[in-house]
Amino acid sequence: MRLSYLRVGMAMTARELLRSRLVLILLLVIPSLFFTIVALTTTDRLITFRLAAISEKPLIEVSERSESLVFIGTAVAGLLASYLALGLMHKQSEVNRRLVLCGYHPSELIVSKLAVLLGVIVLVGIYVGGLLPIFFRPERFALAVLGLMLAGFVYGSYGLLVGALFRRELEGILFIVLLANIDAGWLQNPVYYAGAQNQFIIRALPAYYPSQLGMIGAFTDRSAIRPLVSSLGYGLVLLLVALAVYFVRMRVRR
Amino acid sequence: MSESVAGITPPQLVLDVEHLAKAYGRRQVLKDVTFRIRPGEIAGITGENGCGKSTLLNVIVGRLRADAGRIVHSGELGYCPQELLIFESLTVEENLRYFATGYGLHQRDAVWQDSATNLLDRFRCSQYMCTPVNRLSGGTKQKLNLILAFLHSPDLLVLDEPYAGFDWETYLQFWEYARELRAEGKSILVVAHLVFDSAQLNAVYRLNGGVLECA
Repeated sequence: MRLSYLRVGMAMTARELLRSRLVLILLLVIPSLFFTIVALTTTDRLITFRLAAISEKPLIEVSERSESLVFIGTAVAGLLASYLALGLMHKQSEVNRRLVLCGYHPSELIVSKLAVLLGVIVLVGIYVGGLLPIFFRPERFALAVLGLMLAGFVYGSYGLLVGALFRRELEGILFIVLLANIDAGWLQNPVYYAGAQNQFIIRALPAYYPSQLGMIGAFTDRSAIRPLVSSLGYGLVLLLVALAVYFVRMRVRR
Repeated sequence: MSESVAGITPPQLVLDVEHLAKAYGRRQVLKDVTFRIRPGEIAGITGENGCGKSTLLNVIVGRLRADAGRIVHSGELGYCPQELLIFESLTVEENLRYFATGYGLHQRDAVWQDSATNLLDRFRCSQYMCTPVNRLSGGTKQKLNLILAFLHSPDLLVLDEPYAGFDWETYLQFWEYARELRAEGKSILVVAHLVFDSAQLNAVYRLNGGVLECA
């Protein structure tokens, strides 16, 4: 992998992203809009739930609003990351193929995109996490933000995979919105999870470990090693499959 | 299986295509395509819509894999696709820099910048250097699409409908440049629906029923 090729690839990918008004609006508006809606529609009443990732299963008692903000924050970070990843993979894919014919290696292109995506995921995590203290004081702020970033990483990898698999953007957006909606936007709410049947299905979904990590960080002082490692593992597996599909799609057929 | 090799042709050939075949499902688009191009030759391929001209070029440049046959080319290859394959949100200069990096020219800024400046001047679009591509007209975008193929002075240019959307002046400029390249020993394979300028070409083929015929 040639560093100078990576440097140019990253610079051009970042410029493409920054020149998309829709992306900038989504990144800035969606988190604050969603948080505002949650803040306006939830109450300060205390709710009690168990977190599946904590083995001793203590009961956690927090305000409905705090719990909802962390839950929605995870969903927002995941949704934005997967949408961005889909765009990076999908838009200009044939132009990228032309670059490969000209001498770029597919790995140099995908690593350039990945580096930019990871940078945006970190910024989104900091931005979304930075809104939390406006509403409540997280127990361990850094860990809660890390949970948001890992939600972005896992769903970003999913977005890359969907972008590599589907030729048309509409199909990709549907796959992202449908999964993010049912997974990060519904099933991973620990209040719902506590009473759910067949919980193994919920545990197998992409947002499970990042949302557990975010909740542990925001509301407890318990160990978060398992959801942390599992989030990284889950994201890496998705990422590797996405890279494999991308290489097959981009290879020069000589 | 097809065989495609770069850099091992005899010195008198820059492209050697033998018995190439390609099908999409049951539809056999290329049945048995054989032709050769020597250094300093301009060859044209014509044919009706959907006869497989672009498929043939896509196989030659490596966008598609052939089902059978052999492609051998020597030297560097430049490719201008039929569709606009350029980064719309980047400027003309950024597109040129991105592709120059792909060609390995980025270590020698002066070389590719000189080449780019000359090409932009020749095709009368140097004033758009800092303009994002999505603000350019269709014809200017096509000029950039073509210039990206010329940027590294390749030995063989593979051009798919390169002058679609050009005005008359640019069309004439294209053929003047093609003649200059031929004089330098460069070769060009150009595909078009209709070849008006058969006098400019050393060989004209017609793709018909998956087979190349001399036109």
